Amino acid sequence: MLLLSLLLASPSFAAESARAVSFVNDVVPVLTKAGCNSGACHAKAGQGQNGFQLSLLGFEPQEDYEHLVKEARGRRVFAASPDQSLLLMKASGRLPHGGGMRLDPASEGYRLLRAWLQQGTPFDQVTAPKLVSLDVQPPRKTLKTKSEQQLKVTARYADGRTRDVTALALFEANDRAMAEASESGRVKILDIPGNVAVMVRYQGLAAVCNVSIPLGAPVKSLPPSRNFIDQLVFANLKLIGIPPSPVCEHATFMRRVSLDIAGRLPTVAEADAFLSSTEPTKRDKLVETLLTSPDYADFFANKWTALLKNKRDAASDITANFAFHSWVRDSLLANKPYDQLVRQLLAATGTIEGNPPVAWYKRVKQPTEQLEDVAQLFLGVRMQCAQCHHHPFERWSQHDYYSMSAFFSQIGRKPTATAGEDVIFHKRGMAQTENKKTKLPVKPAGLGDPTLDIPPDEDPRLRLADWMGNKANPFFAKALVNRYWKHFFKRGLIEPEDDIRDTNPPSNPELLDALAKHFVESGFDLKAVVRVITQSSTYQLSATPNQHNGVDRQNFSHFYPRRMQAEVLLDSIDQFTGAKTEFADLPLGTRAIALPDNSYNRGSAFLKVFGRPEGASVCECERASSASLAQSLHLMNAADVKAKLATSGGRADRLAKADKPEPAKIRELYLAAFAREPQSHEQAVAEEYLARPREDAAGKPLPPEQSRRIAYEDLLWALINTKEFLYNH
Amino acid sequence: MSPKSAASIIAGVAWFALASSAFAQQVILPTPRLLTTMPMGAQVGTTVEVAITGENLEEATDLVFSTPKLTAKPKLGSDGKPEANKFVITVAADAPVGVHDARVVSRLGVSAARAFTVSKLAEVTRTTPNTSLETALALKPNSVCNAVMSARAVDFYSFTGTKGQRVVVECATAGIDSKLTPVLIVADGEGRDLVVNRTSGLLDFTPPADGKYFVKVHGLTFKGGPENFYRLALQDVAAGAAIPRQARTRSVSSFSWSPAADFGIAKTTDTEPNNAHAQAQKITLPCDISGGFFPAADVDTFEFSAKKGEVWWIEVASERLGLPTDPFVLVQRVEKDGDKEKLTDVAELNDIPPPMKPSSNGYSYDGPPYDAGSADVLGKLEIKEDGLYRLQLRDLFGGTRSDAANIYRLVIRQAAPDFALAAWAIHFELRNGDRNAQSKPIALRPGGTMAFDVVVIRRDGFAGDIELGMENLPTGVTAAALKIPAGQSQGKLLITASEKAPRSAGVAKIVGRSQINGATVTRPVQLASMTWPVRDASGEIPKPRLLADVPISVTDAEGAPITIAPRENKIWEVKLGEKLTIPLALTWRGEFSGTTLKLRADGAGFTAAKTPEVALKAPTAEFVLDLATLKPAPGEHTIALYSGYVSKYRHNPAAIVLAEAAQKKADADAAAIAAEAKKLAAEVSAAPAEKRAAVETVAKAASEKLKSAEAAKADAAKRMKAATDAAAPKDIADIVVSEPIRIRVLPSDKK
Repeated sequence: MLLLSLLLASPSFAAESARAVSFVNDVVPVLTKAGCNSGACHAKAGQGQNGFQLSLLGFEPQEDYEHLVKEARGRRVFAASPDQSLLLMKASGRLPHGGGMRLDPASEGYRLLRAWLQQGTPFDQVTAPKLVSLDVQPPRKTLKTKSEQQLKVTARYADGRTRDVTALALFEANDRAMAEASESGRVKILDIPGNVAVMVRYQGLAAVCNVSIPLGAPVKSLPPSRNFIDQLVFANLKLIGIPPSPVCEHATFMRRVSLDIAGRLPTVAEADAFLSSTEPTKRDKLVETLLTSPDYADFFANKWTALLKNKRDAASDITANFAFHSWVRDSLLANKPYDQLVRQLLAATGTIEGNPPVAWYKRVKQPTEQLEDVAQLFLGVRMQCAQCHHHPFERWSQHDYYSMSAFFSQIGRKPTATAGEDVIFHKRGMAQTENKKTKLPVKPAGLGDPTLDIPPDEDPRLRLADWMGNKANPFFAKALVNRYWKHFFKRGLIEPEDDIRDTNPPSNPELLDALAKHFVESGFDLKAVVRVITQSSTYQLSATPNQHNGVDRQNFSHFYPRRMQAEVLLDSIDQFTGAKTEFADLPLGTRAIALPDNSYNRGSAFLKVFGRPEGASVCECERASSASLAQSLHLMNAADVKAKLATSGGRADRLAKADKPEPAKIRELYLAAFAREPQSHEQAVAEEYLARPREDAAGKPLPPEQSRRIAYEDLLWALINTKEFLYNH
Repeated sequence: MSPKSAASIIAGVAWFALASSAFAQQVILPTPRLLTTMPMGAQVGTTVEVAITGENLEEATDLVFSTPKLTAKPKLGSDGKPEANKFVITVAADAPVGVHDARVVSRLGVSAARAFTVSKLAEVTRTTPNTSLETALALKPNSVCNAVMSARAVDFYSFTGTKGQRVVVECATAGIDSKLTPVLIVADGEGRDLVVNRTSGLLDFTPPADGKYFVKVHGLTFKGGPENFYRLALQDVAAGAAIPRQARTRSVSSFSWSPAADFGIAKTTDTEPNNAHAQAQKITLPCDISGGFFPAADVDTFEFSAKKGEVWWIEVASERLGLPTDPFVLVQRVEKDGDKEKLTDVAELNDIPPPMKPSSNGYSYDGPPYDAGSADVLGKLEIKEDGLYRLQLRDLFGGTRSDAANIYRLVIRQAAPDFALAAWAIHFELRNGDRNAQSKPIALRPGGTMAFDVVVIRRDGFAGDIELGMENLPTGVTAAALKIPAGQSQGKLLITASEKAPRSAGVAKIVGRSQINGATVTRPVQLASMTWPVRDASGEIPKPRLLADVPISVTDAEGAPITIAPRENKIWEVKLGEKLTIPLALTWRGEFSGTTLKLRADGAGFTAAKTPEVALKAPTAEFVLDLATLKPAPGEHTIALYSGYVSKYRHNPAAIVLAEAAQKKADADAAAIAAEAKKLAAEVSAAPAEKRAAVETVAKAASEKLKSAEAAKADAAKRMKAATDAAAPKDIADIVVSEPIRIRVLPSDKK
């Protein structure tokens, strides 16, 4: 076993083995390193494993001691003959053990446990020196691709003592495609350039080693720097030696930005006008036009309502869901400042019909769920773990968890005539909630902030909104700009976008800070975030990599293409073919990006196959963005797609009948699909295809008008099935 | 009205018929209901033609209103005969602007009401579909358009905007009985949305530039159809001026507050900033303050001095003004210690509790679906110590909403005891979520009795008895009412049409009378009803409102299926501890399903009475009251017996006779014309060439006449079939309520 060699290899342990073995500082870390107290083993919630329970990652030594030494009539430890202790018999695999052999009898870990048993299993929580900090060396390092680095972890105790705990610490890279960390703390850099962080954990504390992996290619020229984003992205590219691709063509930009802001393809007329315009600021102007269009509001409302769980469980949910979706959409249309939007959601009171954000409290009923959703969605902090135990990679404790929960402790509910819907109001009283562990009342506090004494008459949720919207809040603005960055760049500066923590640093920290600062200073103006991103050269880089930057996955040296999401793709096919998809209860012509809730997925194989989310989670990961065989087959063969091609009065039908020269018609197709002119070889292939005579099943030549129509349907089909159509690039 | 829109309304009626037949068994006997009028309002001093639709409105001869300033006559066709379901309304020049109740008097009596608005604005009625930008209907400034929402569609309107000239677009719906939850959008000249409102049907818009703008209207969930009518008003409003709102019907909760209430106290206003204790606005008691819950999370803090032993009554009206607010009052005593203040809670005043517990859910029946309570405040403040006090008023729904329209009136007064009363028809049992019966009008059948809940909200410590009664009852109609006993909040009212009551229709009054400080005080009982007959409350929440008055009618078309009455019309006396046997007479009209009626008793102290089970068609029964077990309070009681039953109801069989006669005549007419046409046709072939043209012309005319006669014949046959089908016996579940039984309970002889 690897562990064995590691433990033996650690000289510091050998040096210390003579001293008294500490339960808190030796035994528990050995159990942690060996994986005994992982969530899958003896720390499994509720019952542990096979009757033996340990606290998760050893966060509760007192409890572990009770379980280990006193429970089961003390049969797990046998001080008189340590090797006969159940603890060691099982751990070393000498007795049948579901978890297999975890400790080699020759290992240092085994020796430590044995020594502790021999000492009479003392408990030293009070006397053992308190761990106060963890230090990893090096904390920051520039490493070449395919290189290695050994980390050294030092624990610092309250009594001033330090100890090398490298062998007992746990190591994990935040991007396993970039670096691998072994159990002994040896980091192996793979071949992707950029920034990667290796998290080191030891007894509830965590430290990070930030590794910068330069590509080292010459960066001779940079596209024009249009704002602070470019300055910071290009500075990073220069530093790590990744030359960026050039700025993309106008046509590519137009299609890209229309899809990203408005969730739709440009129309032929728009593409024509934009391409022929010679205005130097036409890109900025296009961004502005898109931002003022209702399409922007529709598209981003689609994003937010799924995350806010606007989910149809019963037919009677329709009113609440339509109202809530519309509230989000109208707020975005009015460009309501983000802090106000969140405030109105968090502190909603009244009835759904009178104040639609109240619908959120219909979906998310428990205070724990409320705080978890709010933390993950608006602060980018995942608090779920801290409900039951100290967060394993974070500073958040159960106290922090219940302090946040306390903001939601004074929500009053009165039933309405609609089953399942309550009137929400602030119930007068002291805001506080019980810490499930300590059974003590906890008052509200923002994460990392001091406890608040909120008078009984004040709605604590308003104070939570105050804290979140405070300019100094370290999470609120960052979480949003990171989420929006990912929307436009496929990858967040922090990944996953809603897992902001010290141990998961951003790939470009200066940029994240600058974006957050810009957002706060704009007065939480969501359109300003979109504007500054889409106007940057970084956003406008070509998707085609140059000879060096093809390996780049996180430095934004070129545009990372992504498949159109389900709704956008369906709308794009409708727009391209001239068909209209019918959705229950909604006017014909309603676009898929404007659908209010998940109920439409049931009736649409298309939306399901392409991964439209069900609104079950606050995580954007619920939306499937990957490509699959089912998707390809659907596009090629499904009846609904075929019916769209053959829509009466649709594009194929119209072009087949139109009295226009074929080249003009082919040009229209390319503008409609790709927002660009056809190239000469494309033009030639299309013309040849259209001119080809066609026969029916019996081999009889088809009449020319029917033949032309089939030819146009085929052409549309072929264009839809290109990567250029399916991807935003 | 265009034939198209008329057709769509007729289609709507057909839909209703379908909806009701979808249930295996219809609940309650046919009652006349006016469901829609088009238009839904008219300008003062004008005459307009309206088309109506409804249920059970055969022989609708009159359209009547809750104000005499609105009068209507049937619209006469080109043949001088009244056109079905069309009336011409004349609005007097001095007609009060506002919402009035319209009702139809028909074969079965007076119908349920529908709101009809009298406005000052010019009125138009949409006549052609406007569901696209291209077909947008141009609105004139300061006008109202009457329209019906199209399902799964958006209605488009356009107007010409002037830069900086504020306009208010308002869509009246729920306030005029419509089922539509409106969404209003103002869009630019290319139809791109600029501003949207989905919660209050109001948009206050100042155009950023001169040009054409669009107004889009649709339902929140894109519902449409005849029940989803609306009045869209476009008004120019000066900058800074108050927003004019279209009139609305009154909510049930508002019966306990009159907007005109005057307590003889000088009026003041809420002066901001007064959110914090340090900014408290100084007042002296009593006071009558007008204020607003604005901006978001507004708190209005008032400071006053009071002396030990004082008792003040605090009332807040806001929700009862029709606003979506939930006022909350906190009174604290302030003790100062240098710069420090100690605040001690003295009173916490929240909702006005409903005088009768409303149904806990919209499906099974466990109480009336009327909540006569309010989110407003009405309560007592007793001062236990001399000192300084602060009152904080906040809107529990106002944390994040900034709407200056959310106003309130706060009155702190010395006791001014009074009471307010409301009533609604009850049905005792409702099956399968059926709320249909909750909107029945007082359209009585001879021999029938209707029961009502009457509730009271008592003000400022008033606790006395309230005698209930009715005035202006038609001939043959009597009302018996329980007194609402001292301290209680509920009573019952029974309205009975005698078997011989003649046909009539009028407006009565229900009143409550009591003694307050030695004077007799009479207050009206305001009638509440559901605005629509909702058949399935799981799919739609029935919405109630107050009616403008108390219309009442007796039909001569048919009698009540069952009458249950005590054999003698007298006060039955009984001593506590003894038994009383009351012989009952039962009259049965028509056929019934089932075998027995299981009677139950209603009336405080008697609901647990052992009641008889009566075999169908039995002419008599005995009701034995055992006052050894019941123990009601000594004194006079009015009680009633009731039961559910299923009748094999025949709808308007008289119509068959008429339809049959009409069919015979149509058949005969057609036959005669056919013979004439045949004769002329023969003449044509026989006619000499020079006369043929003239004969041919005559023959052609005859053949045309024949065509229309054949059509009339087919129509008559169709009507005959419809009448026959309607009159076929059909199971209908309803309740029968006995005539009132008056009992005087005497104290027991035993000491």
